[in-house]
Amino acid sequence: MLAGQLMDLRSALHAQGVIFAYSGYVTEPVLSGVGEALKQKLTIDDADTKTLRSVFAIFVEQMQNIIRYSAEKAHQALPPASDAGALTEIRYGILTIGREGDDYVVCAGNLVERTDVPRLRERLSKIRSMSKDELKALYKEQLRSDPEQGSKGAGLGLMEIARRATQPIDFDFADVDDEYSFFALKATI
Amino acid sequence: MRDKLNIEATSRTPAVVFDFANHHMKISGESYPEDVTEFYRPVFDALDTYLGKLGKGTCRFDFELIYLNSSSAKAVMMLMDKLEDAAKKGAAIEVYWFYDKEDDTMQELGGEFGEDLETAKFHLEKMPG
Repeated sequence: MLAGQLMDLRSALHAQGVIFAYSGYVTEPVLSGVGEALKQKLTIDDADTKTLRSVFAIFVEQMQNIIRYSAEKAHQALPPASDAGALTEIRYGILTIGREGDDYVVCAGNLVERTDVPRLRERLSKIRSMSKDELKALYKEQLRSDPEQGSKGAGLGLMEIARRATQPIDFDFADVDDEYSFFALKATI
Repeated sequence: MRDKLNIEATSRTPAVVFDFANHHMKISGESYPEDVTEFYRPVFDALDTYLGKLGKGTCRFDFELIYLNSSSAKAVMMLMDKLEDAAKKGAAIEVYWFYDKEDDTMQELGGEFGEDLETAKFHLEKMPG
């Protein structure tokens, strides 16, 4: 029963070509650890340097997107004696790395607030439709501008993913309830 | 001012060697820190202090980065801006961007940073070996 259930989960992942799967709360040390294992696996696969760096770069941006922006989170209030403003906060998401034919695919998913969906969809559609030269121009523009409201990074992560990917990025949203949607982003290298 | 700023590399942060006495700065390795602001703050502070006193002196800055994430790219741009400002004030600044010939993404990124350097002199070169 136990072995059967867990093996079914593993088989479902295998059937989709998944080599790595992480579902749960993501922290920076998780990124470090999974990242090291990913580098080792890519080296064992004898992936060329550019593929290795691109898969890794996309993995980092996807993980950091979950860490920073997933709408599903757990808080732990610190004792009153410590820094009053500080909360330890961890965010939930899922990330898989797998193969599709000769390609690598990095997929990430997390909850987002439904009110953020139109803005995110518009931004991703724009990035998806751009040529490498247009992406380069937008990347430079974004690098020079102040981060958008609500952004905790330089606002460059999605563009970095699109630039490193060898095919247009794929994305999708599925409504979960009145408040949240599930957001999925796939990059192929 | 200290003679040197020496930060050892970790798996997620680059080695930083600022040899102020010899006017030679170098950042090498990988850059995807857990907290970009925290990592680069002392680097910015040290460079600001040094460049503030450089006047019309000479300085060489080497970037030998294998990989940087998108938030580190912003930090690198800020370093470039500081160097360009010092050059505009009369310093002779030479910026070298070394890239791994196997990864043209880093070559392209270097070129993009270089485009914004008008007064500081920019060199785009393959990493030796």
